[in-house]
This record gives sequence, structure tokens and C-alpha cells, in this order.
Amino acid sequence: MNRPAALAALVSEAFEGLARARRMTSLSVALIAISIGLVGAFFLVAENLKSVVETVRDESTVTVFLKSSSTEADRADLERLAKETRLIARMRRVSPDEARARFSTWWKSLGPAARSLPGNPFPASLEMELDPAAVTSDALLPFLKLLASHGAAEEVQFDVEWIRRLHGAVSLARLTGLVLAVFLTLGAAFTIANVVRLTILLHRDEIEILRLVGAPEFLIRGPYLLGGLVQGFLGALLALALLWVVTRAVLAWVAATKNALLGVFAVRFLPASACLLLITFGLVAGLLGGLLAVRRRNLAG
Amino acid sequence: MIEFYRVSKEYQGRRVLRDVTFKTKKGEFLFLTGPSGAGKSTLLKLIFHAEKPTEGQIIVNGMNVSGMPASRVPALRRSMGIVFQDYKLLPARTVLDNVTYVQKFLGVPAAERRRRAYQTLRLVELHHRLAALPEELSGGEQQRVALARALVNEPVLLVADEPTGNLDHRLAGEVMKLLQDISVRGTTVLVATHDQELVKAAGRRCLTLDRGRVVEGLVEAALPSQAATKRADSGRVERAP
Repeated sequence: MNRPAALAALVSEAFEGLARARRMTSLSVALIAISIGLVGAFFLVAENLKSVVETVRDESTVTVFLKSSSTEADRADLERLAKETRLIARMRRVSPDEARARFSTWWKSLGPAARSLPGNPFPASLEMELDPAAVTSDALLPFLKLLASHGAAEEVQFDVEWIRRLHGAVSLARLTGLVLAVFLTLGAAFTIANVVRLTILLHRDEIEILRLVGAPEFLIRGPYLLGGLVQGFLGALLALALLWVVTRAVLAWVAATKNALLGVFAVRFLPASACLLLITFGLVAGLLGGLLAVRRRNLAG
Repeated sequence: MIEFYRVSKEYQGRRVLRDVTFKTKKGEFLFLTGPSGAGKSTLLKLIFHAEKPTEGQIIVNGMNVSGMPASRVPALRRSMGIVFQDYKLLPARTVLDNVTYVQKFLGVPAAERRRRAYQTLRLVELHHRLAALPEELSGGEQQRVALARALVNEPVLLVADEPTGNLDHRLAGEVMKLLQDISVRGTTVLVATHDQELVKAAGRRCLTLDRGRVVEGLVEAALPSQAATKRADSGRVERAP
């Protein structure tokens, strides 16, 4: 047997079969796209929440407002403590004058009022930029407590909890996506199995004839199995295309909106690894569906 | 070519074939006759392993069919040509596709498939209908396409189950002539039919099934009165009809 030519015949037969039953194939691909699209939507939400977490995390700064009575030795001691924890990437001292200047820049309308005050009400501070890994570190909370209890510290400003909650939300969205992926992949597999089974029923006579004239069994089943795989693959591609369109639409909406809160959202599409994962789900669903459909019980003449 | 040794077949306790023994020679043309329900189709199905015998041994083209694993059945069927009463053509495929369908999956190049199909269809005088669909052909033409499909692999054995059952007298004669021509070329041809006129007209060796047993005889064309009876190879003798 000329195997490459036989394989080419098998592939062309699979595509011809799908084209002949194009309505059913389209319906199947659409249903698979919906299933995989839902999984992809969860991944997309997780991905974008992750990007928000990263944005916030990258801008995470612990601000230690110093008492007016604090000395240079106190500041040096605080800096030493921070260095020892290895949680801090960079540190910066902010003087009361610099704090007032910043206030005037950020809140332009209130700047003259601040300048008209008799003294400078803004305290000196130490700004500590956290290392990216520090947000999830167990050592962070004890460190913040240590800073707060320091004699020179008036107040420590950093809300680690909401960043952690956001982190939790990302993990939950991912986990939900994965659990959903298992169920929806099985659902897509059953959809494919039923479509392939219907196709087999439509071609029952053809299959019987092929058997009688001596067509090898793998060549009888092959086109149906391959048909399932192709449907799964096309379904996954369609799902990715739909998700991309949705992402672009959201991106356009965010770009057009004047809502400052949405500024933290740098809407982005799924990374290549997630796209490959979704295509894999499609292929697995197609393979499972095809295998379920071409069991001997269904192909018996 | 075909060897049956004490073959029996039962369906749910009902014995359809009993102790059937016969042997065919290379290039022989023979009939299998008997009334409807006599077991003709069952005997043919045993030959191409669509059924398994309850007892006995069957050798086809040198292969022991009785205990043949399912994986070897396609090769057995490809070693022979099979023609059915209802033609069993693929309705959505052209004449060319019908004749070459299995060859395509066996990796025979397209040009070679087309050459073989053309030659075989020429033999059955349908080489001008390559692109036609079965529904565009008459019953006789459809049966000739089925015959071409059975012959395209140049089988050493051709089995035909009531090949003229759906044809009028003239077309039946044409198909029978074709089958006899094929046997002249060295292919063993076994034709199952209940049409005694056809059997008598051909004057060939005839296996008659009677209540599950094979009765063997030779029918001479134009001299039906001289129909002889003789013992089968196994020595099992019964009178010819």
C-alpha cells in the first residue's frame, strides 16, 4: 500500500464528507466555538485581571509618613530595616517641601491654598517601592507592622489586602476556566460525537459497501475520526476569532471612554500559550467525539 | 479457489446449510441454484466472510476463512470480486469513483486508477459513462458498473449474488455473457441464481441447494435432458434436478 497516497485520500475524503454535510458541520463547529469561547472568555478575564494586578503591583509603594520629631538616625534605621527584609526594590526620601510641591502639581486648584498656609503641614516620608514578588510574600505583613511600630513612623500607607484579593480573583477565574474547560470540552466532544454519528448514519450504506468491497477498517473509520478532529479545530479557531473581536471591541470602548478608573485596564488578548491550550481543547474534544462516534457499535452494518 | 469441507451454518438453532462439501477449479464458471430461502446467499456470505460457519472448513484463494480474524477480512475481500443483486453502488459517486473507490484508499495513483477503470469499463462497454452518477444509468448499466468494480482489481475469484435478478431477459443475457467471458480469462466465477432458464442456457457446472444440502450436477446447454449427475469431490452424491 502506498501510505502517503492512502493518507492523502483519507484526508480528502474527510474534508469531502464535512463539505457534503456542511449544515451539520457548521452547526457542530458553532456549538464547539460557543463551548470553547466560554472557556476562552474566562481565560480572557483572568488574563486581564492579572494585568491589572501586575499594573497595581508594579506601582506598589509603601509610604512611611515620619513624625516631625524624627531624626536622621531614625530615617537611617528605617532604611536599614527595609533593606534587611529584601522586600524593597528601591527607596526614596521625600522632604516636606517636595511633598507640598507634589500636592500643588497633582491638585492644581488647591495649590495656592497650600502655599498660603503659614507653615508646611506636609510631613516628610520614606517611599519604598516593593519588589514584585513582595506582594504575595508572607514576610510583607510583619514588615509593615514593624514599620508602623517604629518610633519615628507617624503612619504607614499600604493596602496589601485588596491586592491580595485581586490576586485571589485572578486565581479563581483561572481555576473556574479550567474546571469549565473540562466540562465544556466533554460537552463539545459529545456534540462532535453526535454529529459524526449522524454523518455515519447518513453514510451507513456507503460504509457497508466499502466493507463488502474490502476497504481496510482504518480507512473506513479514518475519515470520520479526522472529521471530528477538524470540527474541533475549526470550533477552537472560531472561538479564538470571536474572542479577538470582543477584545478589540472592549479595547476600542476603553480607549473612547473618559472613565479614569478604566485607565488601569490595559486590555489585552490571550497569550499564545492560552490560545494553544484552547486549540488543544478543541482537538481533544474532536478526537474524543470522533472516537466515540466510530466505535464498532455505531459503525456496524 | 473455493473449497468447502463439511460446512454447516445455523441461525438460532435453525440449520440453513448442512454438511456442504464442494471444490471449484481455476477459471471455472459455475452456478449455485436453489429456491428462495435455500441458503444461496448464506453460502456466498460464508465465502466472503460476512458470516462464519457453525462447523466445517472453508478455503478461499488459499486462505482459511473459517477462523479468519477480522483484520484479515478486507484483504480476503479484495482478493475477490463481489457482485450483488441490488448493485450496491455509492449513489453520490460517479461511475469512475465507484469503480476506483477502494483503490484510492489503497494509495493507487490517480492516473493508474483512471487507466484501470477505463480498461475495465471498456470491457463492460461503459467507458463512455465515467462521469455519470448511478441514478443516471439503467439497471443493466448499474449492474455492469458493479461488475467493473468487482473486476478492477483483477480478482482470481468472482462471486455474484443474483446478478440478473433486477434485469429484464435481454440485459440478463448480456450480463451472463460478460461473466462467462470473464471466466474464459482465467477468473473463477460463481453465480448464485434461482433462474433455471439462465442456468440451462449457460450449460455449466451447477451446485443446487436443497434443504441446506448441496446437490451437484452439470447442465449442458441446449441439451437439458443430458444433465448428468455425479459425485462431488467429497464423494457425497445426490441427484441433480
